[in-house]
Amino acid sequence: MSLLSVEGLRTHFISRDIDNRVRVAHALNDVSFSIDRGRILGIVGETGAGKSLTAQSVTGLLRPPARVVGGKAVFDGRELTAMSDDELNTVRGAEIAMVVQNPRTSLDPLTRVGDQLVRTHQVHSGGPVATSRQRALEMMEAVGIPDPRSRARAWPHELSGGMAQRILIAMALMNAPKLLIADEPTTGLDVTVQAQILDLLRDLVARLDMATLLITHDLGVVAHFCDEIAVMFAGAIVERGPVREVFRNPAHPYTAGLIAATPERLRSGERSVQFGGPPPDLYNLPKGCHYRPRCPFAGAACHAAPPELETTPGHRALCHFAGAFDRAQEPAE
Amino acid sequence: MMTADATDPRHETQTAAEAPPRLRDRVVGLARLSPTGAAGLALIVLFALLALFSGVLMPHDPVASYTDRILQPPSAEHWFGTDGNGMDVFSRVIYGARFGFGIAIPAVLLSVVIGVPVGLIAGYRGGYLDEVLMRFFDGLRVFPSIILALAVVAATGQSLFNVILVLGLLDSPVFARVVRAEVLSLRASVFVEGAVAAGNPTWRILFVHILPNAIQGALAQVAVRAAWAVRISATLAFLGVGIQAPTPEWGAMIRQGAEFMVTGQWWVGVFPGTALILMVFGLNLLGDGLQDVMDPRRRAAK
Amino acid sequence: MRTFRFLLRRALMVIPLLVGVVFITFMLVRVGGLDPVGQLAGPTATEAEFAAIREELGLDQSLFRQFLIYAGNVLQGDFGESWLSNRPVLDDILGRAVISLELLFWGVGLGTLVGIPVGLRAAFRPNGRFDQVSRVLSLLGFSIPTYWLGLVTIFVFFYLLGWAPPAMGRISLLVSPPPTITGSYLIDGLLQANWEAARSAFAQMVLPVLCMAVIAAAPIIKQTRAIALDVLSSDPIRYARATGLPERVVRRMVLRNSGVPILTYVGTEITGLVGTMSLIEYVFAWGGLGQYGLNAISRGDFTAVQGYVLALALFSVIVFLVIDILVYLMEPRSDLT
Repeated sequence: MSLLSVEGLRTHFISRDIDNRVRVAHALNDVSFSIDRGRILGIVGETGAGKSLTAQSVTGLLRPPARVVGGKAVFDGRELTAMSDDELNTVRGAEIAMVVQNPRTSLDPLTRVGDQLVRTHQVHSGGPVATSRQRALEMMEAVGIPDPRSRARAWPHELSGGMAQRILIAMALMNAPKLLIADEPTTGLDVTVQAQILDLLRDLVARLDMATLLITHDLGVVAHFCDEIAVMFAGAIVERGPVREVFRNPAHPYTAGLIAATPERLRSGERSVQFGGPPPDLYNLPKGCHYRPRCPFAGAACHAAPPELETTPGHRALCHFAGAFDRAQEPAE
Repeated sequence: MMTADATDPRHETQTAAEAPPRLRDRVVGLARLSPTGAAGLALIVLFALLALFSGVLMPHDPVASYTDRILQPPSAEHWFGTDGNGMDVFSRVIYGARFGFGIAIPAVLLSVVIGVPVGLIAGYRGGYLDEVLMRFFDGLRVFPSIILALAVVAATGQSLFNVILVLGLLDSPVFARVVRAEVLSLRASVFVEGAVAAGNPTWRILFVHILPNAIQGALAQVAVRAAWAVRISATLAFLGVGIQAPTPEWGAMIRQGAEFMVTGQWWVGVFPGTALILMVFGLNLLGDGLQDVMDPRRRAAK
Repeated sequence: MRTFRFLLRRALMVIPLLVGVVFITFMLVRVGGLDPVGQLAGPTATEAEFAAIREELGLDQSLFRQFLIYAGNVLQGDFGESWLSNRPVLDDILGRAVISLELLFWGVGLGTLVGIPVGLRAAFRPNGRFDQVSRVLSLLGFSIPTYWLGLVTIFVFFYLLGWAPPAMGRISLLVSPPPTITGSYLIDGLLQANWEAARSAFAQMVLPVLCMAVIAAAPIIKQTRAIALDVLSSDPIRYARATGLPERVVRRMVLRNSGVPILTYVGTEITGLVGTMSLIEYVFAWGGLGQYGLNAISRGDFTAVQGYVLALALFSVIVFLVIDILVYLMEPRSDLT
């Protein structure tokens, strides 16, 4: 039994426009994946593919007009998608910890960083404040912050980006989580700092036996740091499997294009990997396979919704011609 | 929302997108988006009708003095009673709507006509001129607007024309600021840089390329500024500056009613005050709604 | 040391603003339609007499020199003499300042105390029933003319119900005011255990302070809501929710993070509220600076008007400065600038 398993998750933005018509953005359409302790799963995809939204849907952090309209997320035997906000608050920050994209602006600007670490521990684990203080110093030490005692008294604005991200990781570790969700943890950091942070994360995951969900737009990061990969397109996971296997034999044409379009020099810096056409209109997705308009191999069969096919054990793709798309040159309509 | 979930949502949106928008839907949609704004609009339309058709609607001449019927309470003949001069308060309240529009419309127009170009030029040229203008506007901010308006009208001569002029001038910085802020963000945009590179003259860039995009924020302010103009002009009249009794202007009527409040003839001051509140309230509701509809960030919060 | 340098810089930055303010009040009267020469000389004066008076008043000098002379006088505390009271304007103003400050303090204080919690509560449930009701009420508050609200409360609570004393000043005519310590009858009465005076001063104060608070609360509700909504969607709050902080902790964070912008806003609102205060004084015959100024305006006593407008502007400038300093002290990030 996986630590976290997500099945058929669907999230829509439902609103009305000024002409009083219902508008539905199909942001997540059938997202399924699972993750075990001690493993790192990388979720990649272009901007708008639904990577962050998947994390928010799983942890119940969606804000109107977004809401989960189908599917479920089961964590450690409990259904997250059926929990109340109060119940979720006992899980978030404790069993499921988050590391976010903008560490410097995400810390509470009016509270010293040490006090913020203590606050998280107090809220979830309770106990004497002195214990929380001790743990805060230990965790700061564990994430490689020199002189934790004086750093604990710093204000968030006094930290560099890399230092702030270490604080966020320390914050995540305060309550010994089972699952760590890192949403673009290195975007906006210097390249050298990026590597340090990722090394730190991988080291901690191995040591503390956490499951980790790493959300990124950077295939290079996935290749170097993850055990498994899930590729998202138009709110669906179009391919998932072990990293080596997927990189060697991409079974979905989108994955293949993504790998081809990511030369080493683009690995960092570029905010989004975009090739082969504009992102799909979530208000008006094409029928059948959503990748069809951009797919160089699309054929008549692609007007029907694609099945999820397993090419090798644990390696699946959402494509009629999974694993054989480049040999399926049917004449286009 | 239920229908969208019940059937295949993809199908639902596609048919909805194909149907051309109907006027009725747009009206319902806007009213849904801002029910308070719609209520405000209804109030303003009501007052506009009062002002337009006051000739037909007034049962009496608003300045005719019935000397035998001084300070009569509301009755079938005089719905809102009569004032200290024996004038029909109901007719005067209806006529007062004309002053509301008659002052607010030209004053706000003047503010826009002055403020928008100033904001455009200050924002586009920047530099020293912009700095001086903004400091000057900041300086004006330390004076309570009502006191400044009062003092200037009192100093420059008390006429309706002067009231409009002073209100229009004093409020123009509001529009200048809004437009300036928009221009600053537009100036660096790709399409403006393109227009400059294509060799367009400055006036053309300002008025053809920037203005149409910068004006929206200013337009969203119009109703709120009109509310301000109606309120301040009535305050001036209440203090006996500008419009004088027995002109059937609401502020001047409240001034007349003030002394009767402590002797129990409440109708002289209460009815014009209520009309004034309702009109200003309508404009404020409308302005709030306009800002809701025009600001996508506020719209998304709905 | 750093704090001292900050204070010094802020204080110095006020100087150009003050010069501008003095210039505007100067222009107010120079541009004014009233010709002091004609008034002083009388209808039968000859051309030579006119010239003499003009020279005596310094009006034959250039406008710029006139401004320098005026600014110099203001700097020395010489605001001229009011022809209504036949006293130096500065004395008139100083004597009335405390009276007005008392009304302003209680009115704005009460309005803020009500407005901030209401605005916060509305923001925590945007578009909920409480939000919608408070939003409409605050827009209504924007729309009620101050003086009319004063008149109607006088009618209801004095004439109809008989709960309030007549709206004639700060203490009942039948009660002798306590000897001056602070200038506030209420505080002076309490300090000297003169319960009768304190009670009467309090009774006189209830209606004007309530009216003031209603008018002050409306914009504060609206702005607090907007500020809190911004804070609620800011990174720190979203991160706090992601770390599972319970709602009550999150709300305390929202409150603290809204503090500085709300304080800044209330500070800028003070200017407008001074105008409101003047109208309340006028209606309740309060006898403070506001009533003095409005009388001067409607009677055309321009020396007094000049002094009054200058005093109000000075007050705003001082409030802005105080708020700046408070923000500096409250905000850990401010040593960045």
